[in-house]
Order: sequence, then structure tokens, then C-alpha cells
Amino acid sequence: MELKEHPLRVAVRYLVLILLAVVFMIPVVFIAFTALKSNSDLLRNPFYAFPEKIQWNNFAMAWEQGKLGMYMKNTAVIAFIKVPLGILIVALASYAMTRMVFRWGSALFALFLIGMMVPMQATLVPLNIFLNKTGLVNTYPGIILVYLGFGIPFGILILRGFFRSIPKEIDEAALIDGCGDTGKFFRIILPLSMPAIATLFIFDFMATWNEFLLAQIFITKDTMRTITTGLLAFRGEFSTNYTLMNAGVLLSVLPVLAVYMAFQKYFVSGLAGSVKG
Amino acid sequence: MRTSAYKPWLFILPALAIYLTVIFIPSAYTLYLSFFSWNGVAPDKKFVGLKNYAELLWNDTVFPKALMNNLIWTLGSLTLIMGIGLMLALMLNRKLKGRILFRGLFYFPYVLSGIIVATIWVWMYNPMQGFFNHALEWLGLENWTRAWLAEPKIALYAVFLAAIWNGVGQPMVLFLAGLQTIPQDPYEAAIIDGAKPSQQFRFITLPLLRETFIIVVAITMVSSMKVYDLIYAMTGGGPAESTHVLASWMYFQTFRFANIGIGSAISMFLILITMVVIIPYVYYTTKKSHV
Repeated sequence: MELKEHPLRVAVRYLVLILLAVVFMIPVVFIAFTALKSNSDLLRNPFYAFPEKIQWNNFAMAWEQGKLGMYMKNTAVIAFIKVPLGILIVALASYAMTRMVFRWGSALFALFLIGMMVPMQATLVPLNIFLNKTGLVNTYPGIILVYLGFGIPFGILILRGFFRSIPKEIDEAALIDGCGDTGKFFRIILPLSMPAIATLFIFDFMATWNEFLLAQIFITKDTMRTITTGLLAFRGEFSTNYTLMNAGVLLSVLPVLAVYMAFQKYFVSGLAGSVKG
Repeated sequence: MRTSAYKPWLFILPALAIYLTVIFIPSAYTLYLSFFSWNGVAPDKKFVGLKNYAELLWNDTVFPKALMNNLIWTLGSLTLIMGIGLMLALMLNRKLKGRILFRGLFYFPYVLSGIIVATIWVWMYNPMQGFFNHALEWLGLENWTRAWLAEPKIALYAVFLAAIWNGVGQPMVLFLAGLQTIPQDPYEAAIIDGAKPSQQFRFITLPLLRETFIIVVAITMVSSMKVYDLIYAMTGGGPAESTHVLASWMYFQTFRFANIGIGSAISMFLILITMVVIIPYVYYTTKKSHV
């Protein structure tokens, strides 16, 4: 039963929201406008003016000269391998800690949790040495390994919490049916955890797609660059060609926007789960 | 039925192995490196004990500034980013037409990478062609125009504005989730008793949001200490090192100036500060929490 509110309050709320929404949209609109203009248009005409003539080929040029396709391909390969693999690894560990007779379970959980307090900076130099020595610099496996490592504490936090909320009766029923640990894991616990896993998938994918520091350190060859480091390189090269540069930025935003619009409810609902403790 | 003792270890092995290799052992090695003077390539490292730490605290001109910037960033995040996020959540926590649209709009900047946000805002702040100076001129306020990212006194705040745009989505959805767990009954009773909206907020909403607050504050504090992408990509720590934070200064010391020992010491400071803030915080908040 919704409480009645004074119409003036409601109107003011709408006004404030709309105002804020407009302010929030300004950066994106400004980028879009710049991207659609020609350089001379940008120079001569007011900033709020619609493009004289929409320069669609800005996008084609930015894509080609900025090698955005290559950078996105690299990021996609890394993300699509890392995220499912990471979830599997974390799920296995969480299963061991919650559903198996395991004396060290709590101690190891605490160990994993400590990792959340470690900033990436504290691992860069040794990891750099390690990756160089093993020839993993500028390779997919190298960066994926590093990403996996940093994703573990958070993943265990989420999945262990979720596994603990699955009733033990299910395990007992499985036992009666003669189901061993592996069977239980793949055919019961994992399917039941799909909500948590879907949320983790979205978050991990987003974090991997947007990751910068590690990619900056461990990938130095241009052909292997991800979209984040690639965009920075692109910016360096076209820093004075503003229309082209903004076209490139817009292109980088589009895949994120598409995924976001498709899976919006997962982005938001997932966080809700973590707040309820 | 026999439970094999080694099976759990098998399940946990991949995670444990990768975790130790990527996080645990490297951190320990960085601690070790912080006691040496090394350029990263020479075969010999020179042991200097606590000299790197002393150097940072007393001789380094940027380290205290970076520390202060992290503090400013944290305070700004807790007040502005968290505050605006809360305000948005409160406004959107009703049956409102276009509620989902608004929520999606305010959250969207959060899913963009720090690099994209930085690139967008660097263009917004462009002295000749950017939005801010154009808009100020258009409004007749030419003498308010600035080289936003090039003036040491205001650069950090200019970057922080971008951080607000980027960041409010996260506390907003966390608070929204928390608000949705609050039942309507207390409000109905309060209204019957004649409580004003501000009183309802103070005596019902805030106390019942306590758990959410605890989480959002923790998350905000930790990410403020780790901030890097936005600063690196918008100013590179400049102008005149005025926008450096611990994370960016560490990067420069280690990978630009090849002062591995100093960079490692900065990393250790980062870990220390994070622990000093988080551990008492978690202890204090879980103790007082009604179980």
C-alpha cells in the first residue's frame, strides 16, 4: 500500500531528477556531438550547435586508424576465457570450504579474504619478474593468470556466502541417491547457484573489460593491447584530432552500453544480494 | 561412507595455487624489496634497511602530497559521492514513472572504464574547445574560464568531479537495495503520529539503513585509497605532481624512475593504510551490530 504524498513534493522530486539526468547526460552528448562533426565545423561553429553535416566516416576512420577492432578482440578473448574459468575455480574452492569435511576451511577462507586488502601495486614488480622469466609477458595466458589471481578473493566471498545459504537437506538427499562430491557439485550446487553466478559473471566481465593497471604493466606489445590501454595509446596518437578522438571514445563505449542495456537488471540486482549480508 | 581427506584439497587447489602465486608470494617479495635500493635490472641489490621509508616520509616532496590527496579523495567520496548516491536512491525508492530509466541513466557512467571516463572529461575540460570553457563564455563568464587540468590548485578537484560522475551509481544502487528491505509499517505508524518527512528520515530510514551504510562506507574508503586509473589518465599525476595519489606515485617511482625500493615501500604504505583503516572499522562495526 503506497503512502500518499503531497503532489508538490512529487513534482519537485521529478524536477530535480530530470535536472540531474540532463546534467549527467551532458558529457556523453558533448562527446557524441564532437564525434559527429568535422574538424572545421568544430572550430567555426558554436559548441552546442548540431553538426553541419554528420561525419559518419569519423567512426570508420577511428576504428581503422585506432585499431579499435584489434584491441577489442584482445579484450574479448581475455574476458571470455578468464571469467568462466575464474568462476569455476572459485566455485570449486567455495564448495570445498562449505560442503566438504575440511578442517582448514575457515583458515583458508581468512587467508583468501586478506587478499582483498592487498592493492595491485604491491604485486607488480615481482609479478613482472615472474612473467618475464616464464615468457608470459604479452601473452593471453600471462594476463589471464594475473586476472584470475585478483578475482579470487571477491569471488570466494560471494560464492561461499551463497553456498552456505543452500540447505543441507539437499546434500543429504543427494547422498541417499548415491551422488558423490563431483556429481553434487556439477549437478546440484552449481545449477542452484545460477543467480549468484550470473551476477558474478556480469561483474567480473565488466571489471576485466575495464581493467587498466595490470594491462598497462604486463602488455606492452601493441598487437596484444586491450581496449583500455589501446584507447590510451589511441588518445596519444590523435590527441589533436578531436573529432576523430571522440569518435573513438564513442566506439569504445558502445559495446559496454549494449551489454549494459541487455543485462541491466543483473547489474543492479546483484549488488542487492550482497547488501543483505 | 569414507570421506577422503585429500579431496577437499583437490577442489581448493587451483584457487589456492593461483592466489599464492599472484597475490600472496609477490606481496611478500615486495616487502622484501622495500628494504633495498634497486633499479630493476642490475644483478645486485643494495640493502638499505628502512632508508626507503625514511626517504618517503621526510625527503620526498610528493609523498606527503599524495597522502593528502588520498585523504581529500576519501573525504570527498564519503560526502559527495556517497551523499549524492544516497540522495538519488531516496528519490528513486518510490513508485515513480521512468524510475528504471533514471536509475539506468545514473548508474551507466559507473560501468565505463576509468580510461573512457578520463578521456571524456579531458575533452570536457579542454581549455580551447571543451564544454566548460565554451559554456562559461556563452554565459558571459569568460574570466571564470580556466585551464582546469593544468592549474595545480584546482586540477585534483577537476578530476574529482569526473569521479563523482563516474562513481555515484554504485552507492546509489547499494542504498536502493538497502532501502528496499525497509518495511512500510514504521512509516505508516509514524505518519499517524504526525511525523514530518525529515523526522521519518532521521528516526526510521537512517537507523534501518545502518547495515547498508557500513558496507558502502567500507567500499568507498577502500577504493579511495586505491584510486589510480582516473588520475593517471587525466593528469598523469601532474601538473607539477599536484594530483598524485599513492597508487600513481608508486607507478611513477617504480616504472618511470626505476626506484624499485621506493616504489615497493609506497606499496607497503598502501597496504598498511588500508589495514589500519579497515581492520578497526570491521571490528567496530561488527561488534556493535545487533545480531
